[in-house]
Amino acid sequence: MSESHLYTYGIIDDNESLALNVDGVAGATRAYTVSYRSLSAVVSDIETTDPERTDAAVEAHNTVLQAVLEHDATRAVVPMSFGMAFKNARTLKGVLRGARRALRSTLTEIAGTVELGVKVLAPGDDTAVDTAAVRSDVTARLSALSVGETENDCFTDRLIINKSYLVEHDTRDAFDAAIDEIDAAHDDLTVRYTGPWPPYNFVDIHIGAEQAQQGGR
Amino acid sequence: AQPDSSGLAEVLDRVLDKGVVVDVWARVSLVGIEILTVEARVVAASVDTFLHYAEEIAKIEQAELTAGAEAAPEA
Repeated sequence: MSESHLYTYGIIDDNESLALNVDGVAGATRAYTVSYRSLSAVVSDIETTDPERTDAAVEAHNTVLQAVLEHDATRAVVPMSFGMAFKNARTLKGVLRGARRALRSTLTEIAGTVELGVKVLAPGDDTAVDTAAVRSDVTARLSALSVGETENDCFTDRLIINKSYLVEHDTRDAFDAAIDEIDAAHDDLTVRYTGPWPPYNFVDIHIGAEQAQQGGR
Repeated sequence: AQPDSSGLAEVLDRVLDKGVVVDVWARVSLVGIEILTVEARVVAASVDTFLHYAEEIAKIEQAELTAGAEAAPEA
């Protein structure tokens, strides 16, 4: 019997241990936590440390994180990028320990918030749209209801706004309502409202390894 | 309106391009590795916080023994 490796989805505060029956990456049916002190990684068992990057696998990664958010909507989750599989609990705990200060301060920064995505698209025909006016109207309304925002790439000319907002749980109903108002005020535009997401666009952590004898810092 | 979290393009944008990245050597083997480098950027409250750490991990084995006593048994 080969040793099971651990696929990681995200890092949470370890206020309670978590076990969820959910379809994960590479056929997993159960997600649970591996903890180092007060930090817990949400994981599932996997046979490889190099999982295949398919659309289905990426969707499964998201499905597990969505299940964690649904389990407790107020829980802060630091999301992992796709494919972060560890050899075993020992290596995972070693990384949790080594990155504990960064992980803990990130969890503190994002506590009580979720990410929401907003895309606004111009009509596909030649209808003239005052994009500057739309931008200032929409972003002013949504900035007032969020605690953070990032500008994402407007990859087509039709895309007038492509932003992610970090929104506190208490403000989510107001944010939903603001989206409705924007939709109503700009009848000719398409508004795509997505989430809630773990704060993917508000967290950027890279953990590397160095051998000290090769001139480590 | 309620937001939707099922669109594949939105999921791919986030799960593939964003999120915590751990170098393969830190994931599969800590043998011969003595330092973990951690670079973190948190974008919240309109303030960018940059954190840089280099943590020595030589003591992990010892810490592991201590932490192992209170951790859940492994499968």
